[in-house]
Amino acid sequence: MKNYDVIIIGAGSIGVPLAWQLAERGVRVAVLDHEPSWGRGQNRAAIGGLRATHSDPAKIRICLESISIVSTMKEAYGFDVEWEQGGYLYVAYDVERKAEFLALLKVQKAAGLNIDWIDAEQVKALAPGINATGLLGGTFSPGDGFASSIMANTAYHKLALDAGADFYFNTKVEDIRMKGGKVASITAGGEEWSSPLFINAAGAEASDIASLAGVVLPVHPDCHEAGVTEPVEHFMRPMLVDIRPDAESGNYYFYQAQTGQIVFCITPRPQIWGRDKDSTSAFLPLCSRRLLELYPRLRNLRVRRTWRGMYPMTPDGLPIVGYPEKAENFLQAAGMCGQGFMMGPGLGKILAESIVSGGTRANPAGSTPYAFVFDELACSRTFDHVELLK
Amino acid sequence: MPRIQAHPVLADRQATEVGFMFNGESARGYEGEAVSSSLVALGISQFSLHHKDLAPQGLFCANGQCSQCTVLIDGIPRKACVSPLKAGMDIRTLSGLPSLPTADMPLRQAEKRTLRTDILIIGGGPSGLSAAYELGKMGFQVIVADDKESVGGKLVLQTHKFFGSEQDCYAGVRGIEIAGLLSDKLKRLPNVQVLKNAPVVALFKDRKAGIYKDYSSYVLVEFTAIVVATGAREKGVLFPGNDLPGIYGAGAFQTLVNRDRVKAARRIFIVGSGNVGLIAAYHALQADIEVAGIVEIMGRINGYKVHADKIRRMGVPIHLNTTVLKAEGKGKVQRITTAKVDDQFRPIAGTSLAYDVDAVLIATGLSPCDEFLRQAKSYGIIAVAAGDAEEIAEASSAMFGGKIAAYQLAELLGRKVEVRESWKQTREVLKSKPGDSFSRSPVIPGAEWRPVFFCSEQIPCNPCSTVCPSSSIHLRPLRGTIMDLPYFDGEKCLGCMACVSSCPGLAISLVRRLNETEAEVVLPWEFGAGFPEDQEMDLVDQEGSFVERAPVIGKRFSKKNRTWLLSFRTRVGKATSIAGIRVQDPAVTKGEAVDLPDADELDSIVCRCERITLGEIVSFIKDNDVRDINQLKSLRVGMGACGGKTCSQLLAKAFRLAGIDMAEVEPASVRPLFMEVPMGEIVNEGLERLGSVDASQRGAP
Repeated sequence: MKNYDVIIIGAGSIGVPLAWQLAERGVRVAVLDHEPSWGRGQNRAAIGGLRATHSDPAKIRICLESISIVSTMKEAYGFDVEWEQGGYLYVAYDVERKAEFLALLKVQKAAGLNIDWIDAEQVKALAPGINATGLLGGTFSPGDGFASSIMANTAYHKLALDAGADFYFNTKVEDIRMKGGKVASITAGGEEWSSPLFINAAGAEASDIASLAGVVLPVHPDCHEAGVTEPVEHFMRPMLVDIRPDAESGNYYFYQAQTGQIVFCITPRPQIWGRDKDSTSAFLPLCSRRLLELYPRLRNLRVRRTWRGMYPMTPDGLPIVGYPEKAENFLQAAGMCGQGFMMGPGLGKILAESIVSGGTRANPAGSTPYAFVFDELACSRTFDHVELLK
Repeated sequence: MPRIQAHPVLADRQATEVGFMFNGESARGYEGEAVSSSLVALGISQFSLHHKDLAPQGLFCANGQCSQCTVLIDGIPRKACVSPLKAGMDIRTLSGLPSLPTADMPLRQAEKRTLRTDILIIGGGPSGLSAAYELGKMGFQVIVADDKESVGGKLVLQTHKFFGSEQDCYAGVRGIEIAGLLSDKLKRLPNVQVLKNAPVVALFKDRKAGIYKDYSSYVLVEFTAIVVATGAREKGVLFPGNDLPGIYGAGAFQTLVNRDRVKAARRIFIVGSGNVGLIAAYHALQADIEVAGIVEIMGRINGYKVHADKIRRMGVPIHLNTTVLKAEGKGKVQRITTAKVDDQFRPIAGTSLAYDVDAVLIATGLSPCDEFLRQAKSYGIIAVAAGDAEEIAEASSAMFGGKIAAYQLAELLGRKVEVRESWKQTREVLKSKPGDSFSRSPVIPGAEWRPVFFCSEQIPCNPCSTVCPSSSIHLRPLRGTIMDLPYFDGEKCLGCMACVSSCPGLAISLVRRLNETEAEVVLPWEFGAGFPEDQEMDLVDQEGSFVERAPVIGKRFSKKNRTWLLSFRTRVGKATSIAGIRVQDPAVTKGEAVDLPDADELDSIVCRCERITLGEIVSFIKDNDVRDINQLKSLRVGMGACGGKTCSQLLAKAFRLAGIDMAEVEPASVRPLFMEVPMGEIVNEGLERLGSVDASQRGAP
């Protein structure tokens, strides 16, 4: 029987930074994953966007924490994770979209976010060459940015290792034994593991893991495809987001990474539910066409690689963070809806602080000021609210 | 570098000279040839300066696989080796990252193009073409997608005569001619369509492949099953300076020299003694390029003894138990330093030699291009592999293997066909490694002609026994296959020289006694023969030791084999030990004794695209407790243009040095694209309908 203070299931976008934050605070933590190494689930499929401009206070708070961690990785810890504070720019080409953005702007400003409407000329200055036909402007949040999800997860893993966390790879959770409304122990990789606190950070597999403990977690992955180009000299600054759907796709977004490469992603329409991560032929022509409609000069840019990843979706587009009634020592940190990379470090810090300060099911935030986060993201919520800027 | 004007084997070039601009100055090249070849012919070795550290980048694979040869063509970064030269092109070297042209007019139109076939064969080399022929005969709709202008794969670089058997794989015929024969056979099959200049750049789960047709448009091919006949790529080697321009794969060198007729170097050095390296040495000599030597880190020659003997006779030394310690040069390779190694492969002091060369060929082995096969299997697509993509072997074996793969695939598709047991046996023989060596009893020259064999090692080869008009040459059956050695056991040799001119190893002479003291020796000669009749030449024994200098007393040309047959008047005593003619001045091969250099292997470049050294990778593995190749992406290893194709086989060494058993290490995942494609070309922006591609290509390879 292996025993730890905390056992995290899932060495991904959430589990790895959480392990680091816990180990930093002197907690004996183990991370188990069936993959052969860290970040092998959806982390490496993330294109690397990191924004605080959401419409929900809990997500805003988590991502502000994330930005403060990721943006100082180099200065504070010596890891270059290719962070660029390029901002997020949601473009509007029609009055409906403009009205939608302006309405949202009020909410976002009220939440204290640094975001404003910019006109077409300002958009063109930030993204020279963008299709000017019909361009009305957009909302721009200069404090947001992007980084390498792979490098960031590697940095968290190394920091966690150095702080004393133990990682067990190729270790699949096979069984969870309950006793008196609590997880008593788990079987993983053929061994028994016990701990006063287990954390489900299993990403796209989180509902399977939860169900082993009798917990129903409404997390259902859908597939998105992404790609990266060759590097070229810098010509555009922000993450560009176009939320206009067309017949074959929903929104799409792309940015120019520190390396000079354009990284892009698109939401297929209809959504592709499931876990099949194999690439299909439809993506490349579709995504290229949409990118070229918005940014014609990309025509001469060579696509280097494409891949698929999953968005572990919840019904209302918000993560699930909390202690379920049926398993009160089994903290759920799941259903990130494709935003695990951007929420991971901030959520890790918030959860680690809460746990260390004595957080439990009765009082998940412990002595921290994060009660509102647990309230909003609770497992027991009704999931009828819909996030505006998914 | 000059062009190769006259080549002893290759026919004269039919090409149009065109003008283009290079870095703002006028230059000339041949229309349609690879831009990389035009540039090398101009003496350009630096194609770009790397964006990471401005290190010079030069041609490396010449095969579209890496991206070291990227230049700006009309303002757009392109791989020079797959870009055909056109009149008026503005070609520029690249320093750092390119800037994206401000072509900001809105998207004109986007068009999806899809072809449909039963079987897609990826690669039109010997195995792919053979498979296409068999599958075509069975009535399947077949598309062969090949990435080059001419099909045949590496056959089009093989100016030498082939081993194997005449019946199964055109033994005795030159590779370049076999390519034509195979492609002619396909022209008779209307259901087989050959797409040239059509690299497959992606394989998708929904049984479609993306093809980058003419390196300018994107076509999806929907298929039922695939044959992966993608061949192999050269393995890299690690020594400081291994990334300098001028150090390239032997295949790249053969492409420059044999396909594009560029005299790619003045003096080369070769690393590796397998057949590829040995043959490349021969091709270099035929192109009038000096070969300073070959090093082999192991204690024995890796390739066929006949190949090794042939080049040793011509004056190229093969240094066993020897390695390259470093390469140096300003902007390109100018000097390499070698040393003998001990049984732990450590360099031995006092054995270091330096050679001044302007190219180094890497010929340390091949690894299969099996990415599409692995992907197909993971997608559940019906697929078979053929040729080197299945198992590294000679082209003769690949041709026969293509036939077997075709039958295996037909079986998987529900056809009642059977792969005959005898074919499998033939394939086994054709891909055999050399067998035992035998010594032959000395031949005494008589008044009648007699063939003398310098073929002492079992290899799969039999042309001499099939061309003899008096059926006097037989394989002496020890194994009962074409691995057996040939012997003269007939009544009479007609002196027709057919065996001499057809032997791929140049390992047969004809000898007869002229008088009490003199003999006539006939030797094959695959070089220019414009010398006078009484020219004296240095004649050598089987492994290249000098025997005597003797005059040429006759020369005749075998048209069939495109081989000269030179007669020499020699002393009678050593006549039957004379096996060949030295062609290279021994001074070329003399190294300069130097102190053992202070060269650290850890400084070698592993990932060429992103310029990551062995040392950086080893440290990263140790620091982060890495057991998964995919984690090296944090160092950017495998994140470059080639997607790990060039470096993946070198990573085993990094893990070993970090103390990790490769068996514990998770392999790298394979993702599209196999080759970069511009977005505008993915959507076929502003192009005509596909109909034109379809009609013009059908049935006409």
